[in-house]
Amino acid sequence: MVTQTEKLNSLITDYFEKEQKLGAQLPEWMKELRQQGLSRFNELGIPTIKNEEWKYTNLSSLAERKFYIPEPQPFKELGELHEYLDPAEINVVFVNGDFHPKLSNLTDLPKGVSIVNLTTASAPGIQPFETHIREYQQKFSDPFAALNDAITHGGVLVKIDEKTVLKRLIHIVHVTCVPKENAILSPRTLIVLGKSAQAEVLETYMSCTPVGYFTNALTDIFLEENSVLRYTKAQNEGRQAYHIGTTRIFQKRDSLSENFSMTTGGMLTRNNLMIILENSGANTFLNGLYAVQGEQHVDNHTCVDHQAPNATSNQYYKGILNGNSHAVFNGKIFVKRIAQQTNSYQLNKNLLLGKGARVDTKPQLEIFADDVKCTHGATIGQLNEDELFYLETRGIHRELAVRMLCRGFVDDILNRISNPSVVAKLNKMLAPSFETFK
Amino acid sequence: MLAIKNLHAEINGTPIIKGMNLTINPGEIHAIMGPNGSGKSTLAKIIAGHPDYQVTEGSIEYEVNFKKINLLELQPEERAREGIFLAFQYPVEIPGVNTSVFLRAAFNAICRHQGAEEMDPIEFDEYLKSKMKFLDMDEKCLNRPVNVDFSGGEKKRNEILQMAVLNPRLAVLDETDSGLDIDSLRVVADGVNRLKRKDNAILVITHYQRLLNYIVPDFVHILIDGKIVRSEGKELALKVEEKGYDWLAQ
Repeated sequence: MVTQTEKLNSLITDYFEKEQKLGAQLPEWMKELRQQGLSRFNELGIPTIKNEEWKYTNLSSLAERKFYIPEPQPFKELGELHEYLDPAEINVVFVNGDFHPKLSNLTDLPKGVSIVNLTTASAPGIQPFETHIREYQQKFSDPFAALNDAITHGGVLVKIDEKTVLKRLIHIVHVTCVPKENAILSPRTLIVLGKSAQAEVLETYMSCTPVGYFTNALTDIFLEENSVLRYTKAQNEGRQAYHIGTTRIFQKRDSLSENFSMTTGGMLTRNNLMIILENSGANTFLNGLYAVQGEQHVDNHTCVDHQAPNATSNQYYKGILNGNSHAVFNGKIFVKRIAQQTNSYQLNKNLLLGKGARVDTKPQLEIFADDVKCTHGATIGQLNEDELFYLETRGIHRELAVRMLCRGFVDDILNRISNPSVVAKLNKMLAPSFETFK
Repeated sequence: MLAIKNLHAEINGTPIIKGMNLTINPGEIHAIMGPNGSGKSTLAKIIAGHPDYQVTEGSIEYEVNFKKINLLELQPEERAREGIFLAFQYPVEIPGVNTSVFLRAAFNAICRHQGAEEMDPIEFDEYLKSKMKFLDMDEKCLNRPVNVDFSGGEKKRNEILQMAVLNPRLAVLDETDSGLDIDSLRVVADGVNRLKRKDNAILVITHYQRLLNYIVPDFVHILIDGKIVRSEGKELALKVEEKGYDWLAQ
């Protein structure tokens, strides 16, 4: 039997050949990246549930499919997109995994901000980061980041120069409009904040066609000394989609990242969020929310790598599960021997609404330093009957009472996002889930 | 207004109320006193419709606008919409639900049912503040989650605030006085007295006679082992305060 890894390997090899015939121009570093990615992917392969990292997320249905790499879409206005885009914000649009500058509004960028296709970005500007990632990547077995490397033919570079404080939100929208099922999409984003720079980025994933496809996304982020990034990822793709997304954030001294990850869409979602605190004084917040229903599966794997002393990480993920949905939370915290005075907190709270809903939650702490504060906790529960009764005795219908309690549960975590425009967008994506709560 | 006839009720198979009769007319204040475990709070929860209690015998008839309703057939929220209010002995904390949002949702749900006009947030805010004044409550409470981080006194005031906002026909106050210092007790009692009208009624459940100095009842009933053993005027409360319950249990 031909395995999925072999199928993908021949798909990619054919694709390379075809591309060469068409005379595609790719920078040398990217060609190299692809070759390395392909061999790394072949080495690791598609994981099974025997792999500890994938114990609760079964990819066997994904492994059965026969994927294709969609042709780049010619420029086309996407009417429904305007609903999601605010012209006051910096919109970066991807269609089927490819960056579309014409659908984006990048003509009027503030000083110190550049957003370009990765293929046209200057190699010296990118190489140090790519090399850095490659070195780090060797330590981890991440087949899907390698697969993204292997297929990539572009993507976007967002660069915020030293001391630039960007007030406008950068909204990166990934839209999928594929005519037939089993497309594999490999969007790629590299975000670099220079020393003391500040920015806020929202990455949204959505579909406009209800077919099954596979988004294998990769976002790498570099935060130089004393920079601040607020980064939100919202996965709101169609209910037939597979979504595996890897976000890696490399943080230098005194930098701060405030992350939020929300999943409402997809049939099977895996969010890998990896934060590498490389120098002392680096701080990070990892907040997340998942609201799933039906047969949806969502798996959040976070990993905070404390490599230096006096850094803090704070994780708080919440989930509401309706129907027969299944959620996984795995929070890994590494504290190196040198990383003394680390503060690391982790909390995962789940609300089960559906009778068939299920949660697997697991902290994973590997601490080699002796002067650290690490706490973790997880809860799985149902709505509190006393609270419901109290609301009902005030004339509030049970269905509304349920939604009010769910609203409270959700707001507790959404309130951690300071940008009202981001919160409004997330709430819009949450609305259909709320309709099903009763 | 309310007619309880031969009521028997249990929780998890344990009988608590064992043949209780009580009639409340509009304009009256009734007090129920009794030792711990006599079924006082159970009665309050049954009137409000708590799902954990099963009525095994008897009836509760509620009369509103000359229409008689079998109260036991209604869901808790339907009872509330028909004008029944329970001030909880232990008000429930509801994290994440904003107090003023909650109060407006409750107010509008009841208005909608009773055919009155609903209020928008600005109108409601005014209305709410007018009700808060005489309860000596901090307006900051409104922006906090319901009862979360409220002191004991604030929680009880919040119950009476809800009563003031929802304007019930029959209010059941379940040990509203317990855990209150004398100043808070006065404020709460004063709030209740202001809400008293000719066409509504109040059922006060208490352990202590002290509250009845401030909310003066027309009738005092003594509940022992799930049954009312004696009903008299307000002076009965003083007798109980002096002599305890034992002489009534015979």
